[in-house]
Amino acid sequence: MTAIGFTAPAKKTTESRWQRVVRTLLYGANVDRNVKAKARLGLAIIVFVAVYGIIAGKLIMFALISEGHGGRRSVAQDAVATARPDIVDRHGSIIATDVKMPSLFAEPRRLIDVDEATELLTAVLPDLDARELRERLASGRGFVWLKREITATQQREIHRLGLPGIGFLTENKRVYPNGPVVSHQIGHVNVDNQGIAGIEKWLDGQGLAALHMAGLATDRLQKPVELALDLRVQFALRDELAKAREKFSAKAAAGLMLNVNTGEIVAMASEPDYDPNNPREANDPTRINRLTTGVYEMGSTFKALTIAMGLDSGRMGLNTTFDARLPLRYGKFTINDYHAQRRVLSIPEIFTYSSNIGTARLALSLGVDYHKAFLRKMGQLDRLRTELPESSEPIVPKRWGELNTVTIAFGHGLSVAPLQAVMGVAATLNGGLLIPPTFLKRSEDEARAMAKQVIKPETSIKMRYLMRLNAEIGSAKTANVDGYYIGGKTGTAEKVVNGRYSKTKLLTDFMAVLPADKPQYLLLIMLDEPQASKETHGYATAGWNAAPTAAKVIARVAPLLDIAPRFDLPNAEQSILVSNRVAR
Amino acid sequence: MRILNILVIAALVIAASYVYKIKFDSTLQAERVAKLRHELRRERDAVAGLRAEWAKLQAPMRIQGLAERHLKLKSAVSTQLANFDNLPMRPAPAPPQDDPIASMIVPGAPQETTGSISRPGAPR
Repeated sequence: MTAIGFTAPAKKTTESRWQRVVRTLLYGANVDRNVKAKARLGLAIIVFVAVYGIIAGKLIMFALISEGHGGRRSVAQDAVATARPDIVDRHGSIIATDVKMPSLFAEPRRLIDVDEATELLTAVLPDLDARELRERLASGRGFVWLKREITATQQREIHRLGLPGIGFLTENKRVYPNGPVVSHQIGHVNVDNQGIAGIEKWLDGQGLAALHMAGLATDRLQKPVELALDLRVQFALRDELAKAREKFSAKAAAGLMLNVNTGEIVAMASEPDYDPNNPREANDPTRINRLTTGVYEMGSTFKALTIAMGLDSGRMGLNTTFDARLPLRYGKFTINDYHAQRRVLSIPEIFTYSSNIGTARLALSLGVDYHKAFLRKMGQLDRLRTELPESSEPIVPKRWGELNTVTIAFGHGLSVAPLQAVMGVAATLNGGLLIPPTFLKRSEDEARAMAKQVIKPETSIKMRYLMRLNAEIGSAKTANVDGYYIGGKTGTAEKVVNGRYSKTKLLTDFMAVLPADKPQYLLLIMLDEPQASKETHGYATAGWNAAPTAAKVIARVAPLLDIAPRFDLPNAEQSILVSNRVAR
Repeated sequence: MRILNILVIAALVIAASYVYKIKFDSTLQAERVAKLRHELRRERDAVAGLRAEWAKLQAPMRIQGLAERHLKLKSAVSTQLANFDNLPMRPAPAPPQDDPIASMIVPGAPQETTGSISRPGAPR
């Protein structure tokens, strides 16, 4: 063929008939071969340009995508359980952190011998159920989890088995080194590292969940979350609560320590609690956080608020007296005193004898509306929200009449979350500032910026005096600790059982202020149904159980909180009223 | 014209090889970065693991358990705490006593040395 093509022009004139036939067959009868050649050349150029263009384009694509591809693969390796920031206490001790843990998965489609794989894997991981494992491996799916969170040695052994279609993914596992010590504040996470309670859930609400969705929260997040909590104080509090719970055979014991000047919750424990490493326990309803999730009638500790209201109204001073000679009759109800004095009592006497009649008369003299408005101002009637997602609404009487004011004055008929009551009492002691409590670290300036002045500073000084006086001559005597100038108020509330107040089922609580002349911390101890014993001389009231528990906690905790012991301090009147030049 | 062509071709070859070298280097660097980053992550994870373990070891619950089991200590009470202002002044050093036996053994021995064990802090 080529021979013909090349030789043809030379022999054009002498072209034989045979040759012409061949040419006609090859190129057509009357075609100009020059035009044809040009067209072919053009076609060839276009084809080559196209081919090379595709190759170049493909190359560019590879160059651009190959990097992204690799990146995505490494993300997929870690994204299974995404990272969470560490949570540390106020001194930097770790409360919660992430640890990388390998998890075992299989790709059943790539498995060669299911029986062999089952046998070998159960040999290394004896706690795997062989039948279930075989089912999973034979399922023919693309991906199945075999076991989440295995140890490094197990990983090595399985790797050495050399099974195809079996692999590992490293996952972030949340660990809580302190176990149950810090449980209710911190909450816990589920197996996919999503917070489902406590601060952990709050963290998710702060945009961490959105980061997870975007697949960004994969690497260790650098900035730890600092809590207000002091781990050592927390432990001491929980330890003493556990002992108290056992000693007084109480159903539950709870305690809370609040920095009155910043609103930081330095420690909070509610026994029984649970281990966040084993969150299944958390579903047990007896293990709820009684301080924020439960609401209680706080009993006599509420008198602190009533008396603060009286002193702050400007219509009475410390010398004002109320008639407590006779029980207060109100309709079919009779209000009596536990430590009845049967005489006219001044305000400090009402406070130290914990006179129901006196506080009720005090509240009545100011009127129902004033009482209601004051409690609202102190944040006792609305739901208190903190960082913890769990909170409950106070149970406020729907129709608030005079009888309600009478009972609420001494702490019955209004159920509040204990944390709420602590916030209110703290406001009466810290100079009159209502500061929303927080679980996160906060400075005094920040706290002052968000605080609301609810009562006068002079009233606050009078309240400190009353609290201290109660520890000197009143029911808080059993809470005294040598060297720490504490003040306090006991409270014993009868629990409502089947719609009636029970005489035997009590809720005792105690609020201690430390130190009373210049308050820094407020401690609440609460015992649910403590039993009377020989040691308490048959009493089950707060002065015999909650107050001594508070004393033990303070003795342990005060050195940790940098409160130096002071001895030979003058009595309450000298050190608080006279030194602050407050008129009675 | 031919010289120009040759020059251009040479420049092309040099440029191509230079670009290739840069590309090669950058790949190498990128690999190193990836490797270091991986190592960093691994170290950081290891540090986190160790920190978690340390936190577990120094958890107050564990320490109290150990102390109760192995030590005969009691918790401190407030009267045992004092600050520097309340400390009495250091008493004046006692006048050197004549130790007849010591001076008999070692003539001119320093008075604070008794036996073979020197007082803590005293030069031997």
